[in-house]
Amino acid sequence: MPELLVAFITGFTTGGLSCMAVQGGLLATSIANQIESDITAKAGRNESRSFKIALPILLFLVSKLTVYTLLGALLGSLGQVLRITPLAQAILQFAIALFMLGNALRMLNVHPIFRYFSFEPPAAVTRFIRRKAKGETTFLTPILLGALTVLIPCGVTQAMMAAAIATGNPLSGAGLMFAFTLGTSPVFFALAYFATRLGALLEKHLVRITAAVLILLSIFALDTGMNLLGARFTLTRLASNVIPVGEVALLPNAVQPAADGNLVLNVVDKGYRPRTLHAPADLPVTLTLVTEDVYSCSRAFLIPAIDYGVILDATGEKIVDIPPQAKGTVLPFTCSMGMYTGKIVFDL
Amino acid sequence: MKKQQFRVEDMHCVNCAMRLQELEDTLPGVKSVDASYRTGKMVVEYDEAKIKSDQILQAVRRLGYTAVPES
Repeated sequence: MPELLVAFITGFTTGGLSCMAVQGGLLATSIANQIESDITAKAGRNESRSFKIALPILLFLVSKLTVYTLLGALLGSLGQVLRITPLAQAILQFAIALFMLGNALRMLNVHPIFRYFSFEPPAAVTRFIRRKAKGETTFLTPILLGALTVLIPCGVTQAMMAAAIATGNPLSGAGLMFAFTLGTSPVFFALAYFATRLGALLEKHLVRITAAVLILLSIFALDTGMNLLGARFTLTRLASNVIPVGEVALLPNAVQPAADGNLVLNVVDKGYRPRTLHAPADLPVTLTLVTEDVYSCSRAFLIPAIDYGVILDATGEKIVDIPPQAKGTVLPFTCSMGMYTGKIVFDL
Repeated sequence: MKKQQFRVEDMHCVNCAMRLQELEDTLPGVKSVDASYRTGKMVVEYDEAKIKSDQILQAVRRLGYTAVPES
C-alpha cells in the first residue's frame, strides 16, 4: 500500500508536469478536435462551454488511465525488461512531431493533402456509435489519442514502468501504474482546462492559435527526437548553454576534469551536473552516475552514441563503462525525454 | 436505389463529415451517406421514388455546406 501512495504522489508532483511535456501534444490535438467540432456546430447544444472543454480532457485522461493500468498488468506479468531503444523513442518523437505539424497545417487549410493527418473512422464505425450514443461521435479522438500516450511514456513514467516490471505480479503492476497515472491526471486536467479556457476568450482566432501551439509542440518533439539520437546541436542543448541554470549548485566532486578516466556525474531532479564532463582520449572511462532522492525523468539516462540506457534508482550509484574514444570526440547524453542534456568531451 | 457522389469542398474537419452522415437518419428515402473529410466527397444511396437529388442538396445546404453532384 505505501508504494501505491508513493506512486500517486510521484505522479501528482513530478510525473504530471513531466508527462505533460511529452504527451501534451496529443492532448492538445484532442482539444483542438473538440474546438473544431464546436465551431462547426455553432448553433450548438445547450451544454455549457466548460463541459464542452472538460469532456475531451476527461475522456483523454480516462482512456490514458485505462491503457496504462493494462500496461502495468502486462509489465507485472512479463517481469522482464521491456526496453525501448533510444532510436525507437526518437522515431516515435519524430512521428509525433510529424503528426502534430500535419494537423496544424490541416487546421490552417494549407493544402487538402494534410487532411490525411486527421483520424477519420470508417463510416460504418461512426454510424454504429452514432446510433448507440445519439450523435456523440466527437469522443472518439480523445479516447484514441489518450490510448496512444502509451507509445510515448515520459521519463518518470518509464521509471514507474520499471517498478511495475520489478513487482513481477500483474495485479501489483496494474495497481502501481494506476496510482501513478491517476496522480498525473489532476495536473493534466488543470493545465489543459485553464489553457483552453484562456484560449476561449480569443475564440475568433482559436483554431489558428491552436494550430500555432501544435506547431510549437511539434518543434519541441522534433528537438526531443534529435536529442535522443545524440545530436550535438539541438534547441535544448543551445538553450542549456545560453541559460546556465543550476551550474552554481555543482557538487564539489563533479567539477574537476578527470584525467584518470573516472568521471562522476550527479543526476539531480533538474538534470545533470555538471553538464559538460572532460575525459581522457584513447582510454577506457568509467562514469559513475550518482542519484540522491531523484524523482524526475533525469533518472532515465541515455548515451545514444554507444546505445546505452538505464533507469537509475532514486538513490544510488551506477557505473557505466565507456570504451576508449578518439581525441576530440563528444558523447552527448540525455534523459529519455530529451529534456535534460549534457556531454562528455574527450579532450584530456 | 441510386448511388450519387457529391463533392463537398467546405468540410473543415472530420466532424463535418460525421454531421453530413447524420442525414441518413433524418432524410426519408436516404439509405446511407458516406462522407469523407479527407477526400472531400460524399456518397449518398437513396430511393429516387422518395427523394430527389435537389432535396439532398438543400438538406446539405441547411447544415452549412455546399455539395456539387459529380457524374
